[in-house]
Amino acid sequence: MAVPVPWACCAVLAAAAAVVYAQRHSPHETPHVQYERLGSDVTLPCGTANWDAAVTWRVNGTDLAPDLLNGSQLVLRGLELGHSGLYACFHRDSWHLRHQVLLNVGLPPREPVLSCRSNTYPKGFYCSWHLPTPTYIPNTFNVTVLHGSKIMVCEKDPALKNRCHIRYMHLFSTVKYKVSISVSNALGHNATAITFDEFTIVKPDPPENVVARPVPSNPRRLEVTWQTPSTWPDPESFPLKFFLRYRPLILDQWQHVELSDGTAHTITDAYAGKEYIIQVAAKDNEIGTWSDWSVAAHATPWTEEPRHLTTEAQAPETTASTTSSLAPPPTTKICDPGELGSGGGPSAPFFISVLVTLALAAAAAAAAASSLLI
Amino acid sequence: MLACLCTVLWHLPAVPALNRTGDPGPGPSIQKTYDLTRYLEHQLRSLAGTYLNYLGPPFNEPDFNPPRLGAETLPRATVDLEVWRSLNDRLRLTQNYEAYSHLLCYLRGLNRQAATAELRRSLAHFCTSLQGLLGSIAGVMAALGYPLPQPLPGTEPTWTPGPAHSDFLQKMDDFWLLKELQTWLWRSAKDFNRLKKKMQPPAAAVTLHLEAHGF
Repeated sequence: MAVPVPWACCAVLAAAAAVVYAQRHSPHETPHVQYERLGSDVTLPCGTANWDAAVTWRVNGTDLAPDLLNGSQLVLRGLELGHSGLYACFHRDSWHLRHQVLLNVGLPPREPVLSCRSNTYPKGFYCSWHLPTPTYIPNTFNVTVLHGSKIMVCEKDPALKNRCHIRYMHLFSTVKYKVSISVSNALGHNATAITFDEFTIVKPDPPENVVARPVPSNPRRLEVTWQTPSTWPDPESFPLKFFLRYRPLILDQWQHVELSDGTAHTITDAYAGKEYIIQVAAKDNEIGTWSDWSVAAHATPWTEEPRHLTTEAQAPETTASTTSSLAPPPTTKICDPGELGSGGGPSAPFFISVLVTLALAAAAAAAAASSLLI
Repeated sequence: MLACLCTVLWHLPAVPALNRTGDPGPGPSIQKTYDLTRYLEHQLRSLAGTYLNYLGPPFNEPDFNPPRLGAETLPRATVDLEVWRSLNDRLRLTQNYEAYSHLLCYLRGLNRQAATAELRRSLAHFCTSLQGLLGSIAGVMAALGYPLPQPLPGTEPTWTPGPAHSDFLQKMDDFWLLKELQTWLWRSAKDFNRLKKKMQPPAAAVTLHLEAHGF
């Protein structure tokens, strides 16, 4: 019994010694993470080494010049973003790793920008935030929502990390909502808050599926249809009104029409043959603000197919219609199928009518001649 | 304490039910009531701005967000979403009628204390318009065959001048009155929208559709 005890004792002591040796001479499992401010100076000690120890520093595997050293400590002045990296110091002769620092250069957060909006009235609203300038290091955000004195839950958006959603418990409230956000990182923190009434943040999403079509046999009309945004939960009880704007691509001036209901409208003053761009916006009938403009729809009003005339007739006709300018077309010149030409410039019909007159005259002369012969 | 003597309002002459031939139904009067709420809301915006400036800071500051203290007798527009959605027509109309009756009464009290002649004139004009809205709601209720709400004895609001009522608290009451009025007008627009949709005969929708495709 006395004999195994000393053996066990030795084994334990040896193991302990090995662990101590390993800890003193092997690299740390994870490097020490350090955050420093952009533009500042930092001194990195080589772990627990003495000031006069002989060490070499490396960053991301590249040697650093010895003139940066102050004894065994690394001195970095005027930190830039490029200074971020993994710094390691090695015993100069044995090259074993003594200490590692993962340096992150960044900035404390500036005041965040916070905004809230209800595009799903009366279901709820969402708030989103961002920092006006990047910090280059990780930040954590904390949002609190107060309705009067009552704290409300803001559920994180499943997809976007800077957005959360609040559900309305009560409608038509006279008490304001206060949303506060605080942001912090390793170098500092900041906060802001906004206060608003239930009605002021209502802004629907733009109308969907805006389609513009020409109207057959109507060269000055375009039929526009759209749908209420799918995010608006209850258009029956909370109807939307719409604002339509349109212009030919070649002009800068928009025409506007406000529509109190319905999801269709016919434009009746389009310039014949010109491609149009059309957009629609939506707003709750009584409260809130207009949505952004929808995706644009393009359409050109119906134009009659050009007739197959003789080659001399065709060439001037086409040039006339392309140079027929930005001046408004002659009023209500709805093309009579009996009349030749596509209603373009004024010169073409004149030329054609001259040709027709000559042809008719020639035919009349021929008829007269033939009747004389009989 | 905000309270009001308003016996005169509860005895508004009952509007006789429309029983002329070719009666278009309550639809046009609902539309008219809706339009009145919009008109009043517009009028209130300028009136409230002027009045809050008269009260002075902090009441006229846009971020002013006081806790709701006092003004307990003011009719509150706020309501649970599902409760509001499921209100039957009679209850919806009754709540509107009762709310505006009270609010009109309080507004008249406000008018009595208002300092400048300009303010008194604007308030009087608004009170008249609000009276018109009440009449319009009464008309809709009568057309639908609903009785006008009558006050229960003992619950009639009475105005008690409070000597201990500080100037600041009085101003707070005024602030909440205007806030509640504004919110009620927004709510009424939604209430009457809902009523309008329910009253709309399906044929009308077809006519509109044809017009949209007409030449």
